[in-house]
Parts: sequence; C-alpha cells; structure tokens
Amino acid sequence: MIACVAVVGHQNNPLYLQSFTEADDALKLHHIVHCSLDVIDERVNNPKRSVLTLNETFLGLLFPTESYKVFGYLTNTKVKFIMVTTDLDVKDADVRSFFRRFHAAYVDAVSNPFHVPGKKIASRIFAGRVSGIVKTFALGTNG
Amino acid sequence: MANYLAQFQAIKSSSDRLVVAVEDVSDLWPSVKEGFEARLPLKKACLNNKTRNPVYVENLPAEFILTTDARLRSRFPQEQYLFWFREPYATVVLVSCEDLDEFKTILKPRLKLIVQNEEREWFIVYVSKAHPSNDQATKMAKKVYARLEVDFSSKRRERCCKLDLNGADASFWEDFDSKIVESIRNTLERRVQFYEEEIRKMSEQRLMPVWNFCNFFILKESLAFMFEMAHLHEDSLREYDELELCYTETVNTPGKQRDFGGLEQGDDQAALLKPEFKPLSQIVQDDSFREFEFRQYLFACQSKLLFKLGRPVEVVARGYSFIISFSKTLALHEKFLPFCLREVWVITACLAIISSISSIYDGELAAPDIEKEFYRFQGDLYSLCRVKFMRLAYMIGYGVDIEKSSVNSASLSMLPWPKPAVWPSIPADASAEVLAKEKMILQANPRMKHFNIQRKPLPLEPSSLLREANRRRASLSVGNVSELLDVRPTDGSGLDGYQRFSPPSKIYASPMPRTYSGPVNFESSVSLDRPMRLSEIHVAAEHALNQTITDPDLLKSLSSLEEFEKKYMELTKGAADNYHHSWWRRHGVVLDGEIAALYFKNGNYDLAAKSYEKVCALYAGEGWQDLLAEVLPNLAECQKILSDEAGYLSSCVRLLSLENGLFLTKERQAFQSEVVHLAHSEMEHPVPLDVSSLITFSGNPGPPLELCDGDPGTLSVSVWSGFPDDITLESLNLTLMATFNADEGVKTINSSDAHILKPGRNVITLDVPPQKPGSYVLGVLTGQIGNLGFRSHSFSKGGPPDSDDFMSYEKPTRPVLKVLKPRPLVDIAAAVSSALLMNEIQWLGLIVKPIKYSLKGALLSIDTGPGLMIDESHMIEIDDHVKPMEDKVHADELDITKENAFSTVKFKLVLENGKVALPDWASDITTVLWFPVRAIDDRMAVAASADCPQRQSVVDGMRTIALKLEFGAFCNQIFERTIAVHFTDPFHVTTRVSDKCNDGTLLLQVMIHSQVKATLYLHDAWLHLQPGFVHVGKANGRPVSGFFPLVISPSSTAGILFSVCIESMPFGDQTELLQTQSILNIMYGISGDRTNGAHAPASLKSGSNDKLHFKVAIALQRPVLDPCVAVGFIPFSSDCLRVGQLVSMKWRVERLKDMEASNPSSSCNDEVLYEVDANPEIWMIAGRKRGHISLSNARGSRIEIIVTCMPLISGHVRPPHLGLPGLGDENISCNPAGPHLVCVLPPTLSSSYCTPA
Repeated sequence: MIACVAVVGHQNNPLYLQSFTEADDALKLHHIVHCSLDVIDERVNNPKRSVLTLNETFLGLLFPTESYKVFGYLTNTKVKFIMVTTDLDVKDADVRSFFRRFHAAYVDAVSNPFHVPGKKIASRIFAGRVSGIVKTFALGTNG
Repeated sequence: MANYLAQFQAIKSSSDRLVVAVEDVSDLWPSVKEGFEARLPLKKACLNNKTRNPVYVENLPAEFILTTDARLRSRFPQEQYLFWFREPYATVVLVSCEDLDEFKTILKPRLKLIVQNEEREWFIVYVSKAHPSNDQATKMAKKVYARLEVDFSSKRRERCCKLDLNGADASFWEDFDSKIVESIRNTLERRVQFYEEEIRKMSEQRLMPVWNFCNFFILKESLAFMFEMAHLHEDSLREYDELELCYTETVNTPGKQRDFGGLEQGDDQAALLKPEFKPLSQIVQDDSFREFEFRQYLFACQSKLLFKLGRPVEVVARGYSFIISFSKTLALHEKFLPFCLREVWVITACLAIISSISSIYDGELAAPDIEKEFYRFQGDLYSLCRVKFMRLAYMIGYGVDIEKSSVNSASLSMLPWPKPAVWPSIPADASAEVLAKEKMILQANPRMKHFNIQRKPLPLEPSSLLREANRRRASLSVGNVSELLDVRPTDGSGLDGYQRFSPPSKIYASPMPRTYSGPVNFESSVSLDRPMRLSEIHVAAEHALNQTITDPDLLKSLSSLEEFEKKYMELTKGAADNYHHSWWRRHGVVLDGEIAALYFKNGNYDLAAKSYEKVCALYAGEGWQDLLAEVLPNLAECQKILSDEAGYLSSCVRLLSLENGLFLTKERQAFQSEVVHLAHSEMEHPVPLDVSSLITFSGNPGPPLELCDGDPGTLSVSVWSGFPDDITLESLNLTLMATFNADEGVKTINSSDAHILKPGRNVITLDVPPQKPGSYVLGVLTGQIGNLGFRSHSFSKGGPPDSDDFMSYEKPTRPVLKVLKPRPLVDIAAAVSSALLMNEIQWLGLIVKPIKYSLKGALLSIDTGPGLMIDESHMIEIDDHVKPMEDKVHADELDITKENAFSTVKFKLVLENGKVALPDWASDITTVLWFPVRAIDDRMAVAASADCPQRQSVVDGMRTIALKLEFGAFCNQIFERTIAVHFTDPFHVTTRVSDKCNDGTLLLQVMIHSQVKATLYLHDAWLHLQPGFVHVGKANGRPVSGFFPLVISPSSTAGILFSVCIESMPFGDQTELLQTQSILNIMYGISGDRTNGAHAPASLKSGSNDKLHFKVAIALQRPVLDPCVAVGFIPFSSDCLRVGQLVSMKWRVERLKDMEASNPSSSCNDEVLYEVDANPEIWMIAGRKRGHISLSNARGSRIEIIVTCMPLISGHVRPPHLGLPGLGDENISCNPAGPHLVCVLPPTLSSSYCTPA
C-alpha cells in the first residue's frame, strides 16, 4: 500500500504531500519524506558512486527499512517525487510507471498559468489525479 | 567426509602459517636455524592468486619445520589429501660435504632419494663450513658445490645455493628467499588447481541426492584457508562469498525442513564477528549446517578477512545489509524462537559491529566520500539498534518515556509487533510488579505542550499492543476485545488501535480500571480467560525478555527507566553523531531533536534548546512547516525556561509566521499575547526582533513618488501584518536605499504617529525628508512594540506575508521614490530688455516662470544694487503672463493680443522687509511682477560732437537687482539671480556747427536721438548758453513754438537749429570761459508701454500733461582764431593701404608763432606732449602712443612725428589722430581740419597654398 506521495521542489521545499494512511499520523510521513532527501542529495552529489546515470530520472529504492520502502524520482528541474510504500516487494517497473504518471500529472498541474512556480500545489484536480494514480498502482501490484 | 569436520577445525586452528620443511641431511639445522628463521616472515613474496596474476605479499609468515618433526611425520595419506593446505609448501635440503668422493658415494644417492617425490618443491642449500683462510677446504667446497649443481640443477631451474658459514654473503640470502618463494608459489598453484578441480567435481553433484554441503564446505574453506595462510585475503574472501551464495541456495531449496537454530542459551547475542563462537561440528544438521549459526559464521569469516584487508568500511556496509536480511530471516522463524529474540539479536549485532569498528577504524585511511559512507552505515546501525531497543522498552512499559515525535513514530508505528507463537503470559507471583507498572502508567503525565497547544500524539505502535498481545494468547478469542477498553490508554499511543473498532464515546468513559484496582482481588483475577491488561502485558513481556536476553549490558539497560534512558541517549547520540559526519545531515539533525527531548526531560534546558534550534533551522531552511510546527513550541518552551527572551520572542514570531492551518487561532493568539506581554515588560537585554516573516511591506502599486531635489514628501507604504489580532506599534520607521549607490547608506524615514496594525493590509504614510537625487527602494522596516524594537526585511509582492516565500529574499527592484536630479524649477527674467528711463520712477518687470513646480507660498526677496532703489510709495503689481510666442503669431491683431498678453487683472502686493509674497493663484502660472524703481544718476548728460561721436558707455546705465526666491512646500528651494536692468536718458544729443556765417553767426545744429522704445513728445526746448555766446537777436533761445510738440518715434532722430553768435569779450577772460557749458533744456513727454521699455514714470498719472525735464550739457568752443601750432597729416607714400601691411603715419608739427611771448608759462619747456589716438579695433600701433618731442620755441620750428601702424580691418576707416594735449585744441590748426577717412584694402590673397594648374 502506498502510504504517502510527495513532490519536493528543487530547494528541497515540500510542494505537495499526500498521505494515504487512515490514522492521523501524516507528520511521520513528512519526516520520512524529508529524511529521504538525504539519500537523494547523496546520490545527486556523488554521481560516480551511485548507479544513477544522468539520463535516468528514476532513482529507485532510496532506503529500505524493515517496515517500509521509499522510492524516488528526480526530474530535470530538480523536482523530486517521493513515494513511501509499506508494500515490501514491489516491482521496479511498476514504480517506474507510477512515477511517470505522477510526473505527467505534476507537469499538467504546474502548467496552469495561475500556478506560481516554487509554490505549493493547491490544485484539487492534481490531488484527484494523484489519488487515482495511487489507486491504480495498488490495483496493479495486488492484481 | 563430514566426520572430518571436527578435525578440520582443529587443524585450522593449529596451523596458521605456511610450512617449509627442512630436510637436514648433514645435521646442519642447529647451526643455520637462526639465520634461516631471521628471514621470516618473507618479504615481498610474489605469489600468484587464483586467476594466476602475480600478487606481492609484504610479509608472508612461514615456519621452518624439520621433516623429522612429529607434526610432519604422523599424518595419514588420507588426511594429507584432505588437509593438503597444511602440508609443507617447500622443502629445503641442507647438505654439507667437503669430499668429492663422499659426495658421489653417499650424499648424492641419498639426495636423489629425497628429491624424487614429484609433488614436492625442493631446493638444496649447500653449507660450506670452510674457513676463508683455509684455501684447501674452500677449494674443495667449491668443487663439491659445482658437482652438486651439475647433478641437481637443470637449465630450467636452479635448485642449489651455497651458504658460507664463515663468510656472510648477502647474495645468498636473496637467492634463498627467492627460492623459497618460488617453491611456495609453485606448490600453492598446484594445490589451488587441485582444490578447484575437487570443488568443480563436487559442484556438479549439487542437484543430486548425494550432495552434501558439509563436504563442499570443507573443500571450499580449505581453499579459502590456504589463501588466507598465503595472505591472499582477497581470494580467500571470494571463496567465502561463493560459499555464502552456495549456502543460501542450499538453504532455500524447498522441500527439506531444517532446524533453524537460535534456541540455545546465548544465541540472542549476535556472533557475527566471532567465527569461533560455536564449533561447526555442533551446528551440523544432516548434510548441512543450521542457518542461524552458519550464516553468522560465514559473515564472521568474511569480516575477519575484510579487517585484514584494511576495509572496515566494507565490514560496516556488509554488516548492515546482513543484519537487515538476517532480521528478515529471523522474522520467518519467529514462531519458534524465544520471545523477541529477533530484536535482541539485532541490537547485539549492531552494537558488536559498532564496537569492533570503532576500535579499529582510525578515520584516516579512507577518501572523504568513503568516510562519509562509512559514517552513514554506522549511523544506520545505531539507528536500527535504537529502534529495536525502543521497541523492547515499549513492550515493557517504558513507552511513557519515549518521545512521541515524528521520527520515533515513523520508525515504530510501521514496525510490526513481534509475532511469537504465543504471547508470554504473566508469571504467577508478579502482582507487585503489575502494580508497579500500573502505577507507572497512571503517573505518566502526558506532557502538556507549551502555549496550550493540543495535538494528538503520534502513534508509537503499529496496532494496539493490548489487542495484539491478547490476540496472540492462546486462550483468548478476539471477541473479548471490548473488555480491553476499560484500561485507559495513558500513554496516548494505543488510541489508534481502539478507535478502529470501538465507539469513540467509550474511550474516556472509565478513566480507572475500577474492577481490578485493589491487590486483594488481583490474584484471583489472573484467570486464563480474562484478557491481560496493559500493565500485565508489560510485566509478562519483561519476564519473557529476561529469559531471552543473556547479554548483561542489555539486561541492565532494560532493568529500570533510568538505565533505559541512559542507553537510549547513547544510541541516539551515536546515530546522530555518525549521521552528522555523513551525507545524511537531516537524519542527524532530526535525531538531535530526540536528544533534545531527553535533555528537556532531564531539566538540561540549555543543551535541549541548542539541539532544538538545530532541528528548527533545518526544517525552517527547507520550508517543512508541518514538522517545524511540531518542534518549535518545544524550543520556545526551553527558551522561556532559560529566560532567553530574545530567542523566545523570535520563536514566537516564527510560530506566528507559520502557515495559518498549522495552529488554531486560539494558539496563535497565545503566541501574540506572549510577544506583546514580553515587549511591554522590562527586558534585561532588549534585542531587535526580526519579524521579517510576520510583517512585510511593499510600496503602493503605481508609479513611484517623484520628488524634486531637496524637497521633502510623504510616502505611503502597505504593511502586511501576520499577527492574528490587532497590534499596537509605538513607532514605525522604514529605511530607503538608494539604487544608484550602495555606499550611500540607508536613510531612515519615520512614520509620524503610532499605529495599530490590523491583521492583513495596512497603509502607512511616512514623511520623507529631502533626499539626494536618484531612485530609492524600500530597505528595512523597523519599529517598536512596547519596549521592543523590531525589524523586517521582507517585501511582499502586494499580498499577505507568504509563508511559502521563504526563499524569495530577492530585493524588489521597483523603486518607491524617485528624487529628480537638480533642475531649474523656476526662472526669473526681466520682462523688458530695452532701456528704462534714468532718474524716473519706472516699472521694472520680472517674469516669474515656474517650471512644472508649484510656487505656492513663495517669497521673493529683492535687493537692489547701487544706484537703484525701489520706490516704496507704490504697490507692486502682479500680472498673468502669456507667452510672447502668442504675441508673434497674432501680430496682425495687434491690439487684441496685446490686451491678452498682459492680462488686465492686476494684483497689488506689498513689499515687506525687501520681501514680497507671491499669491497662491500665481503658484503654477507664469506671472510678471512690476516694481516701481528709480535709477539714479547724478551726472548730467553731455552732448557729443557730431564729428567725433563719443561712444556712450552702456555700463553707465546698467543697474543690478539681486533676487532670491524661496519656494517649495517648506520654503526649502531657493532660486537666486541677479538681473541687470538697463537705464538710459531719453535722448542722446549731438551737436554740430552746421555753418559759420560770414557775420559771425554760427548755426548750431542740435540732433536729438531717441534712446528708448517709446514715443517721445518734445514740448519745449531751449538753450541756455554759456558765457561767451549769445543767441542771435537776443532771443531766449527757443525755437518757434509752432514746431512743438515734436514727436520723436523710437530710434529716430530730430534736429533743432539754434543760431548763436560769439559774444565779444576781452581776451583775458577766455580761460575762465573754457570751463563752462551751455545747457540744453528739453521739456518732453513720453508715451510708452512698460512691457516694451521706457514709459511714463509711475509717479505721473497716465494721461496727465505733466512734462519731464531733460537737461543736457553742450560744450561750445570758441573758434580757433590764431593758432600757434599746426599739425599736418602727411599723405601716405603709397596709394593704398592693405590690411596687415605696416604703414608709417607721419604728422608734421610746426610752430606758427613764438610761444615765449604768448605763453610764458610753457617757455621753460621746449618740449611738446603728443598723443596718438586710434581705434584699437582698427589700428595696431607700434611704438609710443604718447610722449614728448622737443620742438623749439622759435616760430617756424617744425618736426615730424612718425608712428608705425598696421590696419586691422579693411574699408574706409579713420586714421589715427595726433593730439597735443599740452596745448588747447583751439590753439591748434589741423590739416585736414576735420576727421577724414582712409581706404584700407583687404589683404592680398595668399598664393602659397595654391598649386599651379
């Protein structure tokens, strides 16, 4: 199950964060997303040490813990997409396609002329699309 | 083969280095042993690794063992084959022989026998005992050695070397070393091949039933061990890695049920760095090993090699992933393992790696990025350990002590509970402990957050522990869950679990478990079917854990709350410190927050505040406001306790500036009231408070305020307040920054009165004192709340303070104020350029023209220069002025436009102390001020001779008037100008004697030139003659009155003839008469417009018949009757003069009569003073213009005066005139009599630049 998805701006500021847990504990997901920026920073700053190639936007598994996994995706404009899932065996390909759709939704949202770049994404349509993508992902991995 | 396991282990532990066998044929070992063993360990041994590549081993340990030694003798062939790695890798044959025959007969056959074993790598050391002085023996030894070489060395390989006992030979030892290494290398290679072959064979059987992992393991580890002995650690490590892979495959083969292990005493302590922890023979299970122990064993071997290779970083990296994966494996077998063994194992494993690493790693061997990675892994280990430790502590009831922060919640609430087959039940005699735990739970007071902030604490459990524990109890069905709800979830964390399956109204219904409150009925209550209460679960878990844990340190750490805190702190600090050294800065800082929470709990507020500050800075820096909102109140509380007023205030401000949704209005009001309360209290060290995030400002939209240089103004600015309520400011200032020059510094402008800032937008007006020209942007907003100064640096872009805008600190480039460069703001000029009447009251017009600038309230100071005064009897008049351009356009409709040009609307102004105030209506339009002035000139006008008209000096009639206009809103602008006004007499009079009649009557022609731009009316004129002249016919000298009034238009001339005759009078009076003058009196009127020039004096009423009186002096000379000196101009030698050509002017001066008789006074002097007068614009004179020449007093004496001149312009010009100032004009006869002209031609054309055609 996807616990949380987030968009983080190029200055590591949160642009959008949506948790999908039932409990009122979004703060811990904030924490997880925030800390996973460490890993992205490390990979971006040490390109030769990581497997990341320059053309690859999908960062893969950022850090595994015993109870959840965090995946990352980095766009050319240094906007990061982060996904926290409690599903411990997800396929990379699924995550990859999830991020691609997430990215597309983001691009549409920020293409809105009324959106100020670098500001939080308040669009309800975007939120709806993201929930849709998350739902499809859950179906895809379960089915 | 598996039976050999024990033996294998024993052999492995006994042999740790390569063996070199010594075959001591001639009993030489005792004498060479020392020398041989000194060579050990072998230096720079070149060995081949598994892939046949040379590897240099720095120090290769080896051991010399005699072949007669028991260790080498008592081996069975079977063992030799299996444990080949311990067999000698080289054989050194020590021989000595000094007799050739003996060598041939005895030694050689024996040696042949020894070396026939093909598998051995051998070489012979011939030891010569011969003393160097003993030639015979030396020679013999050489012979024998030569023989030996012939017999045993081949071309392919040298197998002999010679050691001279009595003479040290360095080359021998090198030879010796290389031979040993060569042998070892060859043997190693052969054995590696052998093992590889065996392993390959065995691997082929892997899928067959005969497959036995133990056998495979022995072979593989033998090979690995051999590599290790040869210090080829890299190869050894590879063998272990392959072994691990192979084992994982074997274990994961489905079908076979194997014991996992981990059930023995002490298994909870990870043995992943202790290969010798358990003998392998104990963990054999059928044809393989128990996974629990064996995987740890493999890891231990690998890490040992990694340490030997100097790669502790890799140990940590591998260790972390091993622990994670092994923990997963443990989870699979959790049902069969002791309670929480998994958690305990992870804790001990992490701590074991950390402690071994920290003792080995000195932090210098790695590159910086590797080092960072190393610290990161260590941090990971610490943090993993910490999480598991917290989990254990939570289960035994120390959850009350764990901060419900986001980091703890993230790591604990998503981590599943242990899943033992059966949850431990409470031991029989634990009622006291249960009570104690109960008490602890009840006493634990969920700490109230500062500012009365109410937040639901974050969960620390994945699901309710109560439910989980009871569910896993064998005797209890899930259906009884409603009973659990009687227990109050005092730590708050269990709440989530309940809410999902119970009506929320019941949660707080019964705060105390009344049913089981007393110890009396407690014993009976521990029935099988009753669900356990939380306190009971804690006690049960504690007992179970005490059973599981064997590590005394860990037991101690869980024994009490204090010990727990100590360990918890140690682990958190360890994790944080390591993360700080790594790339994972955020992880480190977040853990600092946990440390801070602990410090806070222990009353160490200073350290707590420091750590909280770091966390807040991290969150604030990247805009993670949700997280910041959680930590910032804690920081504020610390600061309040520490009475760090500045910090506390800034924390309050930061809290206020967080997003609106993060706090309730009530809470935000609490923040504000704290700020206001502190601001109005007596602070010890008032520090300016930075409210940039809370109060922002911007200039008003639209063009910037424009001010002229030197003008003050008022600027209006929007200020956005982020306070939830109105806030009263004692003062409010803004700085302006010049955009053109950064060095100019900042100017502060003040808002005049106190303000109350409403939430949202406020418009503030500020007074701007005069600024330097340029454009200005807003700088900093400062102000005062109570005693507290504050400042704000942030600009809003016309919206409310934007919490998202944390990174946009760029300055707005739009200027709010433009101060224009100095430019003329007003111009004052004389309205009339033509001359005014001298000595009469005239209107002097001043055109005051504002240049796009209001002259409201302007004051004009007037200071007249010498010879000019303002007539105070008259008011000053002011008129509207229309541009003269219009005048010209409508020149045809002369009358009408003139009326319009100077409007008839006139205002009178009063001059006070030399100043006149301009009326308001005149502030924006061009006006003319008319002053009555009178120029005074005491000198009488003098008529000029028409023959040589004297140029009238303009300067004589010039008067100046200094003006100073003070204007602007604050009379700050000053305009100063001095205006020259030209005054003149109305007429210029020239006279000429037009005719001399024969009867001695002279016709005196008086020409009157009008000098003013006004029509003059001559009403009367009469000549008052000087003595010596009389009017003809005794008339009064008036022309016929019928001529008058005579009208003289501007710039025109009129003439009047007077006929006078010379009065006869005695000669002696002549000298007196010379001094007097005739006076021409003219009565005239003037009709002029003051806008054009001279006009009727202001004192006269317009239209009245008052006449003005003008007097002019006329010098009449009696004619020259008997000249005494004649001056003649001698014609030029050439006809024409040219410009630039030198010409000699000659005058001849001749005495006409004796001077002695006529003028005795000058007789003493026979010199005559001369002076050449020439127009300097026409003539350049070379030589003396003035001087004395000697001229004899005798009559008829003559002399020539020659002056060289050069004409400067062409045309008909007057030549220079020779005057004799010493003699009166009347005594001189001139030839020619009057002025005459000479012709000067233009200069000849210069042909020097012309080129011939």
